[in-house]
Amino acid sequence: MSYIRYNYPTRRSLPVAAFGRGAWNGLESEIDRLFNAALAGVEAGTNTGGRFPVDAYQDTHNVYVRAELPGFKRDAIKVEVVDGYLTLEATRESEAEKGSHHAKFNRSISLPEDVQTDGITAAYVDGVLTVTLPKKEEAKPRKISVAVS
Amino acid sequence: MNLIHSLIPAFNRAPVVSSGHREEDLGPTVQPHYEIKEADEAFGLTVTLPGVTKENLEITAEADSLRIVGKRAWSRPKDWSVIYRETTDANFLLELDHDNAIDTDKVHAELRDGVLRLSLPKAEAIKPRRIEVA
Repeated sequence: MSYIRYNYPTRRSLPVAAFGRGAWNGLESEIDRLFNAALAGVEAGTNTGGRFPVDAYQDTHNVYVRAELPGFKRDAIKVEVVDGYLTLEATRESEAEKGSHHAKFNRSISLPEDVQTDGITAAYVDGVLTVTLPKKEEAKPRKISVAVS
Repeated sequence: MNLIHSLIPAFNRAPVVSSGHREEDLGPTVQPHYEIKEADEAFGLTVTLPGVTKENLEITAEADSLRIVGKRAWSRPKDWSVIYRETTDANFLLELDHDNAIDTDKVHAELRDGVLRLSLPKAEAIKPRRIEVA
């Protein structure tokens, strides 16, 4: 049993209700509503049990990891590399009516072998954390020009 | 045509899409996560929009609905290749009906670190009013 919100007639429902019997139309919008409610939390990473979406990219010099972490303070974000794993951890204290609420999010990503552990930088812009991991020298493509005599 | 519309209601949706300000094509969109809290004087709306900057955010308040469009400011540089992906490039779109419950002139919005906070003051008509008995 769930609470079903009453929807006032809007521009969208009025012309539809003028034709037909309305029962079918009501069912259609009801199905839309059910899908919206069920999918609402999926994209934002809220129903994922403290996980958040992460992307990984690479170019010839670096590996980049981008994580969507909206609304965190910079000092509440921790980036660590241990044993070939990159760990991202973010904590948030939010003021709720019943005291403060503590939320912790973390992800570990296995790193490719050609990544070196020093020189890693991270930037947090507009709710997206970007970690730049330089590749090892030997992994970079090398251009050797040979003089032909 | 009316018969077709009565049989397949979805056909009737086209006018809604083409009317008003929706001339631009956003491509695929996702609904961002949002939260609404109600206080005595206003509604507080919090929307998570990771990767959206102030310049790429568009909030339209109409008489009966509120529309928030957030475009992704970042796009993948050409020489970056994908190793692994979980996020989507789709733009954010959130449409909420409020049926004249808010005062659209006094809407206040703040975007910080990918979180949009909107204060939506209630319209005078729906505020609880105390009536004195003479």
